[in-house]
Amino acid sequence: MNRPVSSLHRTLLDRRRFLGDTGLGLGAIALTHLLSRQGLLGANVSGKDPIRPLIQPGHPYAPRTAHFKPRAKNVLVIFCSGACSHLDTFDYKPELIRRNGQPMPGNEKLITFQGEQGALTRSPWEFRPRGQSGKMISDLLPHLAELADDLCFIHSMQGKTNTHGPGENYMSTGQTLDGFPSMGAWISYALGSDDQSLPAYVAIPDPRGKPQNSVNNWAPGFLPAAFQGTDFNATKPIRNLARPQGITGSEDRATRAFLQRLNEHHAAAYPGDSELAARIASYELAARMQVTVPEVTDLSTEPAHILKLYGADEGGSKILETRAAYARNCILARRLVEKGVRFVQLFNGAYQTGGEGVSNWDGHKELLKQYGVHGPVLDKPTAGLLIDLKQRGLLEDTLVVWCTEFGRMPTFQKGSQGRDHNPAGFTCWLAGAGVKKGFSYGATDEFGYKSVENVVTVHDFHATLLHLLGLDHERLTYYHNGLERRLTDVDGHVVHDIFA
Amino acid sequence: MERESRGRLQPVLGFAALLSTATLASLADTASPAPLPAAATRAVDFARDIRPLLDRHCVECHGPTQQKSGFRLDDRTAAFKGGDSYSPAIRPGDSANSPLIHLVSGRVPDMRMPSEGQPLSPEQIGLLRAWIDQGAPWTAEAPKPDPVLSHWAFRPVNRPTPPTTTASQGVIQNPIDAFISEKRSAKNLTAAPEADRTTLIRRLYTVVLGVPPTPEEVDRFVRDTEPQAFERLVDRALADNHYGERWARHWLDVIRFAETNGFETNRERPNAWRFRDYVIASLNQDKPWDQFVREQIAGDAVGVDVGTGFLVGGPFDIVKSPDPVLTAQQRADELDDMVATTGTAFLGLTLGCARCHSHKFDPISQREYYAMAAVFAGVQHGDRPLPLPPAQKEHLDSLDARIRERESQLQRFAKSPAPSPGKLRPAVTSTLNTDAFTPVEARHVRFTIRAASGGEPCIDELEVWSGNRNVALASAGTRATASGTLPGYDIHRLEHINDGRSGNARSWISNESGRGWIALAFARSERIERVVWGRDREGQFRDRVATDYVVEVSNDGTTWQTVASSSDREPFSGATQPTGPVYHFELFSDADARQGRDWLADLERLRKERKEAANTPAVWAGNFSQPAPTHRLHRGDPMQKREVVPPATPTVFQPVSLSTNTPEKERRLALARWITDPGNPLTPRVIVNRLWQHHFGVGLVDTPNDFGRAGSPPSHPELLDWLASELVHPAGGSTTPWSLKHIHRLVLTSATWRQSAAPRPDGIATDAASRLLWRFPPRRMEAEAIRDGILAVSGSLDGTRGGPGFFLHDVDRENVYHYHPKEEFGPGESRRMIYAFKVRMEQDSIFGSFDCPDGSLVVPRRSLSTTPLQALNLFNSRFILRQSELFAARLAREAGPQPQAQIQRAWLLAFHRPASPAEESDAVTFAQSSGMPALCRAVLNSNEFLFIP
Repeated sequence: MNRPVSSLHRTLLDRRRFLGDTGLGLGAIALTHLLSRQGLLGANVSGKDPIRPLIQPGHPYAPRTAHFKPRAKNVLVIFCSGACSHLDTFDYKPELIRRNGQPMPGNEKLITFQGEQGALTRSPWEFRPRGQSGKMISDLLPHLAELADDLCFIHSMQGKTNTHGPGENYMSTGQTLDGFPSMGAWISYALGSDDQSLPAYVAIPDPRGKPQNSVNNWAPGFLPAAFQGTDFNATKPIRNLARPQGITGSEDRATRAFLQRLNEHHAAAYPGDSELAARIASYELAARMQVTVPEVTDLSTEPAHILKLYGADEGGSKILETRAAYARNCILARRLVEKGVRFVQLFNGAYQTGGEGVSNWDGHKELLKQYGVHGPVLDKPTAGLLIDLKQRGLLEDTLVVWCTEFGRMPTFQKGSQGRDHNPAGFTCWLAGAGVKKGFSYGATDEFGYKSVENVVTVHDFHATLLHLLGLDHERLTYYHNGLERRLTDVDGHVVHDIFA
Repeated sequence: MERESRGRLQPVLGFAALLSTATLASLADTASPAPLPAAATRAVDFARDIRPLLDRHCVECHGPTQQKSGFRLDDRTAAFKGGDSYSPAIRPGDSANSPLIHLVSGRVPDMRMPSEGQPLSPEQIGLLRAWIDQGAPWTAEAPKPDPVLSHWAFRPVNRPTPPTTTASQGVIQNPIDAFISEKRSAKNLTAAPEADRTTLIRRLYTVVLGVPPTPEEVDRFVRDTEPQAFERLVDRALADNHYGERWARHWLDVIRFAETNGFETNRERPNAWRFRDYVIASLNQDKPWDQFVREQIAGDAVGVDVGTGFLVGGPFDIVKSPDPVLTAQQRADELDDMVATTGTAFLGLTLGCARCHSHKFDPISQREYYAMAAVFAGVQHGDRPLPLPPAQKEHLDSLDARIRERESQLQRFAKSPAPSPGKLRPAVTSTLNTDAFTPVEARHVRFTIRAASGGEPCIDELEVWSGNRNVALASAGTRATASGTLPGYDIHRLEHINDGRSGNARSWISNESGRGWIALAFARSERIERVVWGRDREGQFRDRVATDYVVEVSNDGTTWQTVASSSDREPFSGATQPTGPVYHFELFSDADARQGRDWLADLERLRKERKEAANTPAVWAGNFSQPAPTHRLHRGDPMQKREVVPPATPTVFQPVSLSTNTPEKERRLALARWITDPGNPLTPRVIVNRLWQHHFGVGLVDTPNDFGRAGSPPSHPELLDWLASELVHPAGGSTTPWSLKHIHRLVLTSATWRQSAAPRPDGIATDAASRLLWRFPPRRMEAEAIRDGILAVSGSLDGTRGGPGFFLHDVDRENVYHYHPKEEFGPGESRRMIYAFKVRMEQDSIFGSFDCPDGSLVVPRRSLSTTPLQALNLFNSRFILRQSELFAARLAREAGPQPQAQIQRAWLLAFHRPASPAEESDAVTFAQSSGMPALCRAVLNSNEFLFIP
């Protein structure tokens, strides 16, 4: 719930209104835009009133100023779909190992998502101290473990639903229900992008298919469609990007030119109409994307040692081939970050033609077997991505976020060899711009069941990410259906302790 | 919502419990030694500094609606007196020892006030301290304005008199123009001249019908010299079936209609289309709006069952779990969807804002929210068979009587084994058998086979039902054990017995000939009522059928009680289908046998006829049952139930209160009647505003779903009320009340609507958004109008109306449904887009990017954004290339081989005007080098084609 806003605020996105309020013509837009970039307009807004980004109709992805000095310029989210177990990766619990096979004290009759719980069960993977920090990380992810000194762990994450659809909605949009704008949509709405020939927000689905809650993870919700994540990966290009088959380049150019003449003729009857100008501009941006996107997705220029670093050069088995395909997506993610794309969302795990646990982290039945596939697929390419970002200096400005929709139980399910869903405690980590290195924040209880120390809700997590980008999560709002909506709903506290 | 207690916090204690154990002063001493914020040094004014602070931060929980801990801060006497646990709360002259200051300063552990929202700042506490130290003067104030009557939208609709205008203020076709003209003149703006006829018909068709006119229709209108030509055109448009197809889309956006469930599984609702057709038909027949509203909330009570598709049209999470928290949350979300959507759609009230606490801006308490939830508490998502029409019902009854007569006549021929002749259940079949019994609580079920039709017995699936849940499923947490399993076969395994899949390839076979048992242990005690099983439901295999068996239940796994067995069944006959009694005519005389056989033939014919006659369509319109009492949920948390709240309407207009015993249907009917009461000020204002919005792009109120205090006030309040009044009480005696077409007609025939859209510097300078309507505001068409328009212009629009939708996606129907947007479309897929099967989440590959909502949330007003993806989709997709070819072929067909003629035809079809000589020559040159399809591709992408002029 939010305070009422004036209707002037509400219609700032309305281009005609915008023109009328600020003078006439594109010159005025440019001026206003310049003012806003210098933070001068924002400074007039007092208290916690919404700060509305000024969207240039023809240039929705133009860079826009943050609310305050940002620590990070852009974001790369690595999302493990299906709920990756913290207890088999990053959250070391000696007590869980000691009490392996015993009932969980105080929770002997626990009913979770799929039903009754069995005994506490230690991870089948050993934990070892890593790096200078001595951080305990399991053998499931040996390459990522080597990077422990670069990572900033949050071990006290807390969700509020234990089913995947709402869980992925919650992590990606801040709401458990369908239909809300994703974090990347909010951020590209607020900040635009540094590259004008690529979308501000790119979602890279896993090579095996879309995540559990599919396109909801990168949907624009009620934000204008310009801010939706554009989804493509190293093998599946943007739909309708390429010049259609059977039409030559010169025909295509001639058609564009003819369309341009039609539009100019029409615009003469509506002098100064920014909507019409915006549509003309959108065809120009589309034409630039037709050139730049194939360049960025063409990995053939990547040298052998880079392919090797990510594990993109290996095949011969199903796991290695899946890993190589995911690795190519990781390379693509780096290339997009290099280009200045504001928000890149890289998925590991898919729901498609796999169902439970087969192609994502939903390890209910046979944890050892399932994670025996998912661990290696994730590990080397993701580690390669971090190393590569670091060696190119990209971590200076880029915030890397590793997350999943929720955690898993320290117990095995009764009659099963896997773990059920657990939103009460799980781990995410950050790396790069603005955050501490080799640092761990918050904790779950002795078994890793519930977050108990310095709990970080998903709203807190989002508030913290927005803060790193120089955005006040309480002031980044959009009016929809009677409410000033926020990514953090009506909650969220910035976790300052993890900032470098 | 404030987060719930975090791990490091102690559980919050109640006021009374906490304060009875110690005095507040000693608590303050021991618990929090931190100093209190300093008192402000300036003179404090109660009305200016203190009252607003109390109102904003305290009065919601300690005020007229709630008095938590018996404390209220909206009234001087009560505030000074204190609450249940301490008194006084305020000690004038001594802020350091006033409990109020301790509570807002966080001195009492876990009791910092306010308990929700931001804590008070040190400055605010300093003000409070200074006020108390200065003697806590509580100045008498003017009585607070009535929260209902002080807001424009909650006041009764009065019929304003249209202002008188002068000739210089423009043409006045009807009172709309007078209201518009008055405001416009006040800003020194004038009306635009009337648009030319070509523009008018093009605009009319796009706005009202969503498809462009044909060149012939344009020509006829342009040449119509009779008076009232435009009025007659408007009448024809409003009578066209395309009107309902166009405007239903607007309403379906507002009520978040879609044909899949959403969430991760996103499965289809194959019967939801009947509701979409119902909306189209209701609009086309100009069903009075009040009736239409009543049908959507309580159609089952007024003989229009399909209408309640509204209630359950929203997303619905079918991923159910034994976890009680998840289950309660899902149900609370379902009810919230109904409450919130009803509030915004019909009333423009954001009732959903009162789910966790009383509404911040509007006079809606949290209790009122749960009273509304109680109205819908008996509504469940799902298909409902439509009731039989009376004639069909009568026919069925008569068939039933005749069937019963034949059955009793045939009784004497039935084989009569002891002990209860004719009462035996049908023999087991190889496909499917049901053993029902009196519902019983059990943790275990055992199915013991004592004989089989041959070899080791086989069962492909064993289901145990509790209501509509198969509790035997392994995915429900049930564990299966068996006497033994035939070794060595991947297709015959124990886990197949309760994996939810049937057929020989997913079956269990005993390791012993003619015997064996299966035991199921549920995750928890279940109230079960029937067991369903078979050998091979797919009907391929008929061997290995369990013919002699017993079903037992147990609570501890050791003592067993038999609930069903084969002992009361007919002997096994090898049949695959369930059979009735077996008649033995051969035991009777020829005449009797002949009679018996005739009766049997007649019985079979009657049964067949009955089966067909009972066939009734279903619709996704929900199911209803009498609900348990509804509780208020503290902070909206379904695990924190508070007092019972009986069903009631909101109180912004003469409220109706019901009791916890009020039958389910009556609750909804009472709400529907309250919403459509002619005196309800919101209902007519909200709908006329929606109509206005779709004519001009923006409503008179630009927050169409929020008429509360947080929404915008109307740009033309008198006009809004005049239209609302005209809807409910039309002036002309011949007009039906609540006729939407009447309002459309007034708008469409107004001079305001007919203005040119051309921009003018004075208008742009004063009112660029054109809210004052100094011109008709041009705008881009929405996704559906673009697709329909392209199909119409290319000549491929399929006018088939109604029925199941066509698919814009290929569907993978796994456990989770995956929708892959199609790139090529076949026959039947060129229908209007309203008839596309509406999928949540996954958008159409081309038009989804044109701000097309997916039905996950209500969308009162679409964004109209411009993106490069739209350009790529509209310029490069297979769809557009195909349509360009069809368009080019149409040109050749209709205009002959001459490129000039084809160009002119293209311009008439797409732009409804001739090409100028310069355009024609440019176009001919281009078409000759690049081809006519390339020209069509450009035309279909052009702004002139895509904008409402």
